[in-house]
Amino acid sequence: MRILLVEDDSDLQRLLKKALSDAGYVVDTASDGEEGHFLGDTEPYDVVILDLGLPKMDGVRVLEKWRQENRTMPVLILTARDRWSDKVAGFDAGADDYLAKPFHTEELLARVRALLRRAAGLATSEIDVGPLKIDTRASRVIVDGNPVKLTSLEYRLLSYLAHHKGKVVSRTELVEHLYDQDFDRDSNTIEVFVGRLRKKLGINVIQTVRGLGYCLDDPNAQNEDRAKA
Amino acid sequence: MWTILGLVVGGFVLSGVFRSSVESDFDARLKFDLDGMIAAAEPGPAGQVSLQGRFTDPRFERVYSGWYWQIAPEGKSANLPQISRSLWDHTIKVTDMVTRGGVQWSHGAGPEAQHLRIVSRHVEFPISDTPSPTDMQGYRFLVAGDSTQVEDEVANFNATLLWSFVVLGIGLIGGIFIQVRVGLLPLRRLRTALARIRDGHARKLDGRFPREIAPLASELNGLIEHNAEVVARARTHVSNLAHFLKTPLSVITTEASAQPGPLADSVVKQVGTMRRQVDHYLARARAAGAVNALGNRTEVSPVIEDLARVLGRIHVERGITIALEHPNGLCFRGERQDLEEMVGNLMDNACKWAASRVAVSARGISGTLLEIVVGDDGPGLSLEELSHIGERGERLDESVPGTGLGLAIVRDIARLYGGSLSLGRSSMGGFEARLALPAII
Repeated sequence: MRILLVEDDSDLQRLLKKALSDAGYVVDTASDGEEGHFLGDTEPYDVVILDLGLPKMDGVRVLEKWRQENRTMPVLILTARDRWSDKVAGFDAGADDYLAKPFHTEELLARVRALLRRAAGLATSEIDVGPLKIDTRASRVIVDGNPVKLTSLEYRLLSYLAHHKGKVVSRTELVEHLYDQDFDRDSNTIEVFVGRLRKKLGINVIQTVRGLGYCLDDPNAQNEDRAKA
Repeated sequence: MWTILGLVVGGFVLSGVFRSSVESDFDARLKFDLDGMIAAAEPGPAGQVSLQGRFTDPRFERVYSGWYWQIAPEGKSANLPQISRSLWDHTIKVTDMVTRGGVQWSHGAGPEAQHLRIVSRHVEFPISDTPSPTDMQGYRFLVAGDSTQVEDEVANFNATLLWSFVVLGIGLIGGIFIQVRVGLLPLRRLRTALARIRDGHARKLDGRFPREIAPLASELNGLIEHNAEVVARARTHVSNLAHFLKTPLSVITTEASAQPGPLADSVVKQVGTMRRQVDHYLARARAAGAVNALGNRTEVSPVIEDLARVLGRIHVERGITIALEHPNGLCFRGERQDLEEMVGNLMDNACKWAASRVAVSARGISGTLLEIVVGDDGPGLSLEELSHIGERGERLDESVPGTGLGLAIVRDIARLYGGSLSLGRSSMGGFEARLALPAII
């Protein structure tokens, strides 16, 4: 999952980037409104964390411009302005959630998880795909009741597919959402990781859709669908 | 009132002066006639007196004309008094004489009950046919005039004076009334303009005022603008202070959370306390500047609708239904931000605790007060809990996010505006907050 963090305070930006990276997200950062707007406009992000008091362009204006340009990614406003009028302005500009400073890192992470879950249309923080269970809160993966140990990138890959359960995700999309903007994007590495992930999970939940990409789905449901066909 | 009093006093003075003038004129005529009569008197050899033809005035010839003369011998003389033809067979008796200017003045009764003003003088003539050349015969010469003439003249003058003063009085009062109406018109316009500002219909004194009032209106506008600027500046400073305080607090919290341990726990706890205090005093500071500012008016309906929309999105996962009941046109006498702060905190609390429903209603409860009631169907509070809640920093359940200052801030801001917050049990079974605030109906 790729997150854009737009925060002008360098210390807070550094600390939040670390906390989000530690939680398994790929984080791009911007320090002013114009840069933040440009990144949000040109890169596909799963969530944006946006400060309101930004230099060059105010956070509310950045958000309004994104929404006018039909950029629909979930946006969490993170700001010291906690008056209700600011909240009303933020939500009216198109925000999905609002967190006032100062905050606990855990609360921010919970809000980000909730936004991702809502965007994927999921009701809880646990995603079940047949025998596979992914606890997004604890970043744990369980197959048939047994925990499976994954690397950070493997977990991110599985989590992204799980948030798009039943949908075909292209290799390009995976590269865009699993690596930050500075990464040398070679989509062949994705194949290697998918292969490793399949081996570690030991179940056939990740399907290759030839020429299109990958799809995470319950193998039993797939069989039932085929039987019906 | 003073005009009428002035006119009455003036009338009396004028009437008095006129009476005095007419009387002195009348007296002068009497005196002139007396002097003429004495000059025309010629003593006879036996002490009689006869008037020469020079003293012939038609007034004294016509019977009971009101003008009379009489020459009455004094002392032992057996001569009869000589009288003017106008007296016919009457004589005039003189009593209670007052001497002034060498003659005697008095009043007396004349024929046909005439009231006479009398002037007389004692004159002595020598008796030529007596052996003693020093024998003298005294006579009292008198001239009388009917003083009814004076009274008639004064009465005529008074009648003229009365109606002319009445007309003058009516004119003056009308003039004063028009002057007051026209003169005070700009002040009345000023009062109306001020009322419009106080009710929040205008931000400054509009309209043209005369030269005398224009500086006052200009000063008032300046004061209102200055007040608004001070409030806006204070809000900006408070907002900046919030930003500059809260971002470092966020850094400290995040840094501490990344390095677990007793120090980190203590830092996080202390930062929490600082945050609560900062939130509280910033909210108070924001509200305090605007409380007595002129021209603040906030319609309640849009505020409640905006807050319900935002809270619906904040608590979207809990599926809370927010029912609103509010009449259009209900206005709070205060700043929008403060109303949002109060109602927002109450509605946010209700959404956090509600099982599924929150009800918000607003209504005017008197000419100067409105009431906003926020209730929920959550667990509610016991009487003991109700007595503690709303105190600064008091939180009853740490499991629901919040600063624990929401209700204290609401209560503080409401009090600053002269309103109140009361807490109780909702008809839906949960918690209910009643907020009474000054209104513009």
